[in-house]
Amino acid sequence: MPYLVALLTLAGVLPAQALMSQAPYPELRAVDDAQAYRRIRLEVQAAPTPETAAYQVWFSRFPFERTQDAELHTIIKVGDTAGLTRTPIGEAFEDCWSDGLPIPRDASGMPVIAGSAGGFTCALSGMLPFTDYFLAVVPVNANGVSLAGGPLFPIRTRTDAPDLRPAEPDTRPVLFALGSIVLSLAILLLYLRWRDLQAGRSNARLAHLYIAPAMIALAALTFYPVLYGIWLSFTDANQTHLGEHVWIGFKNFGTILDSAGTARVGLFTLIWAVANVSAHLGLGLLLAIALNHPGLKGRTVYRTLLLLPWAIPGYISVLAWRGMLEPAGLINAVLGTELDWLASPNSARTLVILVNIWLGAPFMMMALSGALQSLPRESYEAAEVDGVHPWRQFLHLTLPSLKSIVVPLSLLGFIWTFNMFHVIFLLTRGKPDVAFGEPGATDILITYVYDVAFEYGNYGIAAAWSVAIFLMLFAFSWFYLKQTRAIEAIR
Amino acid sequence: MTESNVALKWYRPAEVEALKYWLAWGVAVNLLVLGGESLRGDPQSIQLTAWGCAALLAARLLLPDATHVFKYWLCLSAALAALLLGLTAFANSQGTLYDIWARTWLIVPSGVALVSFLRPGTIRWSLNQLDVAGAQVGLARNRRMTPLLESIGTHSMLLHGVALVVVPVVWILDVAISPGNALGGAIGDAFTWEHFVAVTQGESFWLWTRNSLTVSLGTTLLGLSFAVPAGYAFSRFSFSGRKPAMFSFMLIQMFPGVIILVPYFMVMKTLGLLNTSLGLILAYSVTALPLCVWMLKGFFDTVPRELEEAALLDGCTQVQVFSKIVLPLSLPALGVTALFSFLAAWNEYLLAMVFNTSSDQYTLPVGLASMIPTNNQLWGDFAAASVLVSIPVVVLFILFQKSLVQGLTLGGVKG
Repeated sequence: MPYLVALLTLAGVLPAQALMSQAPYPELRAVDDAQAYRRIRLEVQAAPTPETAAYQVWFSRFPFERTQDAELHTIIKVGDTAGLTRTPIGEAFEDCWSDGLPIPRDASGMPVIAGSAGGFTCALSGMLPFTDYFLAVVPVNANGVSLAGGPLFPIRTRTDAPDLRPAEPDTRPVLFALGSIVLSLAILLLYLRWRDLQAGRSNARLAHLYIAPAMIALAALTFYPVLYGIWLSFTDANQTHLGEHVWIGFKNFGTILDSAGTARVGLFTLIWAVANVSAHLGLGLLLAIALNHPGLKGRTVYRTLLLLPWAIPGYISVLAWRGMLEPAGLINAVLGTELDWLASPNSARTLVILVNIWLGAPFMMMALSGALQSLPRESYEAAEVDGVHPWRQFLHLTLPSLKSIVVPLSLLGFIWTFNMFHVIFLLTRGKPDVAFGEPGATDILITYVYDVAFEYGNYGIAAAWSVAIFLMLFAFSWFYLKQTRAIEAIR
Repeated sequence: MTESNVALKWYRPAEVEALKYWLAWGVAVNLLVLGGESLRGDPQSIQLTAWGCAALLAARLLLPDATHVFKYWLCLSAALAALLLGLTAFANSQGTLYDIWARTWLIVPSGVALVSFLRPGTIRWSLNQLDVAGAQVGLARNRRMTPLLESIGTHSMLLHGVALVVVPVVWILDVAISPGNALGGAIGDAFTWEHFVAVTQGESFWLWTRNSLTVSLGTTLLGLSFAVPAGYAFSRFSFSGRKPAMFSFMLIQMFPGVIILVPYFMVMKTLGLLNTSLGLILAYSVTALPLCVWMLKGFFDTVPRELEEAALLDGCTQVQVFSKIVLPLSLPALGVTALFSFLAAWNEYLLAMVFNTSSDQYTLPVGLASMIPTNNQLWGDFAAASVLVSIPVVVLFILFQKSLVQGLTLGGVKG
């Protein structure tokens, strides 16, 4: 089969700059005969200048001239490689070579080439087969500023390699576990039924049969995955060796605690959840009270319109907001500004929260509106007669009687918001990026766990995150319910 | 204390009472506008808004109270200043919808304040010159004015909510009927069916719809066939293991779906259920199961037991009682539960995306989201498809809003 070798020489195209020592734009070559399934092998011939701190590999499915229009794939640092180990191929997620050997990696696993190196080769993973990709390599200085100058000239490449699947993982343990769960549950139910018959509770003859399908489905498809997930969190399972993972103790939890950005993403998740839940409840209450105003005309119309954010499928509203926040979108048009709203970390953080407030307030409004309607009118009339100020009525009549619904509702809202995936995923995908391999500026724990599992393929670490999140939520719920003394009301 | 004294003591013009709230809201909104202006970066508008906001704040803090006469004059001047600043800002603005709204929030509260302060009754009250007869007239007037002012306040609050809610909806309708990728700009300036035609004539939209329908209907059927017997058993029978079983259903609700995403994915992968409708159906039915069981148990609890006991005495078997008496009586409840599972499956994004990597298994959420990758943004087509998908869902939600809210909060609220 004839292979097209795309060899692009780009160094001469770039304008020379007098003041800054221009890092020569690296020569790229996609090695067509070495493409593997979902991997594109890229050969980079680079001559780093003293200013070059790293090379960034950017990719996109469409031609691009600026890095803003592409996604960052990999960073190769330029630095001292003395004392660094060359991790064998297959152990790190991204396979890279320099000088014909596996590339040296620093303590955090990031590939490093020496300043004197002539280049490097990387098998970039995650590329869909039969799909054109555009790749560019950009030299950057220590501050991450591009040294290339001028537009980028990405090369176009693709992999058509068929899926050389690794040997099918051994599914017998899973099937065995599922089978034994189903069987033991069935036996348990039969035993319970037999005991009931012995005790002479004849009216419940079929009860165990009735609950059997639900119980078995639940055990097989929820309890088992949960237990499996807990087990996974103690193993080194990842994309490359699924089914052969082994017990590694608490190492994954250590990795979580050690990894950069953990504290940041945790803090933002907390801010996200607290800000959203309080705004949902506050706005929901405000709107519910307004809707319950006696003698309000057009109540049905208002309620129907205000319900829209809840009724429209969430993913559609979120994408609509993304369109409105585009630089050419409605928000800029209305305000008369030209801002890239989602580009800077803090404005992106504020906006994801605002969009989620928009999405969630109507549900709280509905839930609280129902509760408000059930409050006895008489006490308000009595308060009215006594000349109690409306604000005091709200404080001393409405709020206390709403407590029994606000407490569980806020807890439910907190758990929902904590795990609200699609808003952030579809609005920003966690961007703007902060550093490679770290959660992005708008990532919350859930979206970050998704990246860990399905972008980086680290199932074990992702499972450890999941367990940690569950424990956090469980602890929070327990304390919250204990604090608000509503535990009896819940049970 | 005589009756007349009481009237004097209690009287306070309804407008002043209302302005307490309106001016406070005005200050808050103008702070927001100030943020918007600083994003725009026009120094003149920033200054005008800032001073206007300060004037409103001053007016709010200095509202006349019939004891301190000086407050009246200061408040009057503050309101006048705010009004003038608002008018100047309006004259200076670009005249967009946003500008009109922003300036209205300076002009209207200060204008209302001015008008009500210039009313003779209010003047006399503020300057502490009101006699008993005047107070009584005022009190009578308050009885008419207070509900009016309150309802104006309520309506304007609700209208703001409605505007915020409706803007994205109108926007997406506009994008769907505008030619090309018109993301911003004027609403309703051009009309075309091209996006609707493109979407309905393309294959992928119908493929996604078919996949979504298969998954959602399958989820509803499977979910109900698990949930109905279980809900009935929990509602009617006392049997060994009832409490632990019910507790396990409660516990499941505490596992948020995403937490079990990774193990779920691995189990589905080992079972070879990735990229199949069956995998999603199983996953969705089980995720919705606890809630459905609880909802149905609640509904069955309301069906009187006497009916069943009578039927049992008449020689019906338990299965007959269930299928001939309980099921027909709880059909509406079954409908709501079915709708609930259907909509949950219809709108679900995360599991559908993770389980289906091949594009011919995409459901509508994954498919629609895939229309907007980083660069090749088919906003027009996306908007048209969104409109088509949303309309039936929105209608269902609005028709069954109360039952759905009840169902969703049931697990947490009533347990």
